[in-house]
Amino acid sequence: MMVRLRAALKSIRPDFHHQTDEHLNPYFTFANYDKIWIIGILLLGLTALVPLIAVTILHYQLIQKSVDSELILRTERVASNARRAVTFFMEERLNALRFIVNEIEYAQLVDSLQLSEILRNLKLGFGGLSDLSVIAPSGFQVAYAGPFKLEGKNYSDQLWFIECRKHNFYVSEIFRGYRDVPHIIIAVKSYRKDGSFFILRATLETERLIQTLTAYETGKHADIFLISRSGIIQTPSKHYGSIFEKIDMPLPEYSPRTEALITTDDRKQSVITGYAFISTQIADTPFILMVIKQKGGMMDIWKELHFKINWFVGAGAMVILIVITLTCTFMVNKLFLADKAKAETLALVEQNNQLAAIGQLAAGVAHEINNPLALINETAGYIKDLFTITATYQKDDELMENIDSILEAVQRCGRITRQLLGFARKFDIKIQKIDVKDIVSDVLNFHNKEAAYRNITVNVEVPEGPLEIESDRGKLQQILLNLVNNAFQAVKEGCQLDICAKQEHPDTVTIIISDTGCGMPEENLPKIFEPFFTTKQSGKGTGLGLTITYGLVKKLHGEISVKSRVNEGTTFIITLPTRIEEGQNDNENSLSGR
Amino acid sequence: MKILLVDDEKKFVIMLSKRLALRGIDVDYAFTGEDAVKKALSNRYDVAVLDVKMPGIGGIELKRKLSGLDPGLKIIFLTGHGSENDFKVGAAEAVHYLAKPIQIEELVKILYEING
Repeated sequence: MMVRLRAALKSIRPDFHHQTDEHLNPYFTFANYDKIWIIGILLLGLTALVPLIAVTILHYQLIQKSVDSELILRTERVASNARRAVTFFMEERLNALRFIVNEIEYAQLVDSLQLSEILRNLKLGFGGLSDLSVIAPSGFQVAYAGPFKLEGKNYSDQLWFIECRKHNFYVSEIFRGYRDVPHIIIAVKSYRKDGSFFILRATLETERLIQTLTAYETGKHADIFLISRSGIIQTPSKHYGSIFEKIDMPLPEYSPRTEALITTDDRKQSVITGYAFISTQIADTPFILMVIKQKGGMMDIWKELHFKINWFVGAGAMVILIVITLTCTFMVNKLFLADKAKAETLALVEQNNQLAAIGQLAAGVAHEINNPLALINETAGYIKDLFTITATYQKDDELMENIDSILEAVQRCGRITRQLLGFARKFDIKIQKIDVKDIVSDVLNFHNKEAAYRNITVNVEVPEGPLEIESDRGKLQQILLNLVNNAFQAVKEGCQLDICAKQEHPDTVTIIISDTGCGMPEENLPKIFEPFFTTKQSGKGTGLGLTITYGLVKKLHGEISVKSRVNEGTTFIITLPTRIEEGQNDNENSLSGR
Repeated sequence: MKILLVDDEKKFVIMLSKRLALRGIDVDYAFTGEDAVKKALSNRYDVAVLDVKMPGIGGIELKRKLSGLDPGLKIIFLTGHGSENDFKVGAAEAVHYLAKPIQIEELVKILYEING
């Protein structure tokens, strides 16, 4: 499984990831395509993703801000409405008491029956009143209507009595009092005709107030309740403690207006707190209205939106990265391949230039040597003539031998210079139809005797029927002759030489010449077509044979390659086109010496 | 048979002329094209053996001049260069073309051949 995965990865690996041709390295424009690839991806990725992410973050902040202000506004509105309701609730009851003390004579008020009647009417009108009492300036309760037996009670030291006497009106906190039921006391001070005052006091049940408040509770995340100015919870709260407990958060600062702000509560949760100090037109009250909304809960819808946006941005970023990676890979690979083609051309041009320079050198050297050679030839020839033609010293065999060896050396030098010049020569091609079978047997005819003498087996394997190509007969002959010569020099007695010609492709013919001779070490293989490279003893080879062969194969638009193993043999493979188009031989060979 | 040898390699010309003389051939020689033209004006030759590359008047030009003087004159070119292009020009212009270093027997054979 892993192997298959690795193979799959390898197959999609771009070419520049496994650059192999070390010899081309100096010709490449860039040194490291992997680096270009990574830099490309990073740059494109950053330019594409940074604005996207920045815009997303800005968008989040904007949403956050507008959501916050929306929440504040909504909380403020709820608090404001609830405040009005609570204020009205208190005002209404205070006004009712004021109306009673202004409208009804003191004498009637202190009459228990009358007072009970008033209480009954008040209950009908407003509800939620549990009792009604009249208190004399001394603090004694002079009249009482209600369920408790409270007549004659002295309130002179009570806070509400002192406050009411001082301020004419009084609204108490919610407290349990003697009766152990949460209630509010409201009291109104009034004057009798004789100038003395009395106080009408009513006890309010908290239920109505709580109902009024809960009517403003919107949603499960909202908590709306009253606290006293000292922070005691007055009406039931969902999250911030039981009634009469002290609230576990800092008390809001006094403000005459309804306020809303974002804070954290005792559980470190972000909340929107709206509050208002309840104050009626008639009297101040000890109540602070609290509206607390859990921000987390309110934000649910936005969280869902966040989630969607995050997904969208994430998926978009992934797509962008994938597209960028693919594009970068494609472009860098194209760049690499173009560069590689350029590098190959440059390497080839340089190689050809080297060969051309060597060709020119060869031509120059050959030409310069030919003249003194000619002179040596004629001088030695003349000396020989003197001995042979004039017959004076004809009998001196040793002298003759020496002169002959000079002449022979000159002949040999002449052959070398001619070969050098041949290498430098402009190759002109004369195209004709050639049967490969014929040309192979022609070439082998030169070696029949040597093969027989040295006991070398020569196998020729050519398919039945004509194997024709259109090429230059002389050049092809020279190529084969050079390679066969080479093979004969490489093999020992009893070895084997195989020549095989075949047509594997309609456009090309392949000729393979392999021997079972001494072979070559692998490090020599890349050099064997270079001029003057030879492994033969000095003086035995010119080191030009294979260079000329290479040049000739190229001239015929063919390819030559070599495989070899030491002591196993060497194989030359020549691939030639079956025909050379007219005009193709016009691109003059750079081997030309002139 | 009288032949004219022209080459700027003086020693080569002298040696070759001596060798040909030893083979019974009447040889005259010149080291420059100008000298050769002068000699051709005052003598009649059967064959002229010319070096292709010479300072001043080259072999090809000299051949034209000599042929102008004597249309029946036969020409053999010699060259140290031995390139195919030289061969082409030489073969088109002259009867024969030999690359240095030459084989004296071959030259003699050719001389007799073209003189019938």
